[in-house]
Amino acid sequence: MLTMKTIDDININERLYQLNLGPQHPSTHGVLHFLLTLDGEVVVKAEMLIGYTHRGHEKMAENRIYEQFYPNSARMDYLSGMIFNTGYCEAVEKLCGIEVPKRARYIRVITSELNRVASHLLGVMDFVMGIGAYTPFLYGWDDREIILDLLETITGSRLTYNYSRFGGVRVDIDQTFCDSARRFIDRMRERFKLYNDLITGNIIFIKRTVGVGVISKDVALDYGVTGPTLRGSGVNYDVRKSEPYSSYEDFNFEIPTKEEGDCMARYLVRLAEIEQSLRIIEQAMNNLPDGPIRADVPCFITPPAGDCYHSFESARGAVGYYIVSDGTRIPYRLKVRAPSFSNLFVMSKIIPGHFVADLVAIFGSIDVTVPEIDR
Amino acid sequence: MLTEGQKKLLEELKNNLAKSVPEAKISQSDYVLTGYHLEFSSSKVGMRRVAKEMRSRRFNLETVTAVDFIDSFEIVYLYFNYNQDNIRVMVRIRVPKDEPPFTVSAVYSEAIWLEREVYDFFGIQFKEHPDLRRILNPDDADYFPLLKNFGKTTITGEIDDMLC
Repeated sequence: MLTMKTIDDININERLYQLNLGPQHPSTHGVLHFLLTLDGEVVVKAEMLIGYTHRGHEKMAENRIYEQFYPNSARMDYLSGMIFNTGYCEAVEKLCGIEVPKRARYIRVITSELNRVASHLLGVMDFVMGIGAYTPFLYGWDDREIILDLLETITGSRLTYNYSRFGGVRVDIDQTFCDSARRFIDRMRERFKLYNDLITGNIIFIKRTVGVGVISKDVALDYGVTGPTLRGSGVNYDVRKSEPYSSYEDFNFEIPTKEEGDCMARYLVRLAEIEQSLRIIEQAMNNLPDGPIRADVPCFITPPAGDCYHSFESARGAVGYYIVSDGTRIPYRLKVRAPSFSNLFVMSKIIPGHFVADLVAIFGSIDVTVPEIDR
Repeated sequence: MLTEGQKKLLEELKNNLAKSVPEAKISQSDYVLTGYHLEFSSSKVGMRRVAKEMRSRRFNLETVTAVDFIDSFEIVYLYFNYNQDNIRVMVRIRVPKDEPPFTVSAVYSEAIWLEREVYDFFGIQFKEHPDLRRILNPDDADYFPLLKNFGKTTITGEIDDMLC
């Protein structure tokens, strides 16, 4: 086990020095900048400097009609773009009171869950690669590639999907899509054994993750942590269960939780969530209702004056769209609650006392996407 | 649609919040249309008392944001109770532009970054905030991008022409 040093043990008069990790660094997932104060190899203080990819999505929303904001939504979290895209449409549907046909809601669930599996695969494999295991990464990307190809057949894009529409979805899914998805599910279930052999039982992986970067329940509440990171700390909170949107209330699935709160717990929660997502996709495809895929919605919508908040579960946590409408075709204010923003801030609390090498492990296990933080 | 536990919690919250900030307007709102159960609006600054009440009931601070209404700011706090009853409480205050509210970062550490973001985009200088600096915009920026007088466009006219 690694020895932990807390701030109290460290004499500040010892030689402290600063280290910049990032913004260009392979293990910081894009352009995140850590400013670390170090005592030897132990981190005394960690500050995250963000904003390198700020594009001003919220300001853009105030300058375009609701329909023109479709493509922006998936560009915030490019790894779970489908979920963000669907969530944006659902927020505006809530504001306008649009009823979505059952088939469209099921298709949204199928595509969102496929996207969640792809995102978790990348999250887990990036984490594992960050602490030195290169082989599992290639296997994970092999699986993820199948999902990207599958989603490409109905959306036309591989990452930044623009698929949901107000009142439904753009293209119907057919038998070929369902057959391919079933084949993927069968294949994926076979792969869990491989992943367990490659990663979970690996002694180096265990030594690097067990007991490292523990987030307690109280700290998680204080810092507003959500998603798999929160569930790794033993809190049973998932927006899909607590406030079912789309049609998640129709499906049987469990919320995997782990009590430990360390890197290993977060990894295991993500792997278990992939299994649950596969269950949801299977149920949705078996019970896919017939009917239209889009409600009768005018080309340009004009929501009534008022505001609404819509919360949904992305691969990283609870996302929220807060929309204020003044009764025109342009949003008066659109705010995105980015889960990675809060999940990243908790690192300033848990990092001190760990080694620099552990920072990469903890950061990987929290699995943030930088464009979503910066918006 | 509300369960017994939710009704009970909403009643308790209403009473306690009315006690801690007597001048506030507290009303139940339609969850299906708005996404929140309870709406708390006030013009007086009592956000820290509200935050303490929420923290004692283990509510999670979901987000802090602001809306620029030209003559005043509306600052919005969203609390969600994921531990028991899934209640979302919307807390909003209207403040004049030259009279910023106190920070809630002593109650919720998350608010340190959330309020920094609000400062970064609206220039609202939360009182007693421990670390009020730019966060997403450049450190040397001299603008506040989400104010309504920043970067005006005439897009409304264009759309009307397009539709006719």
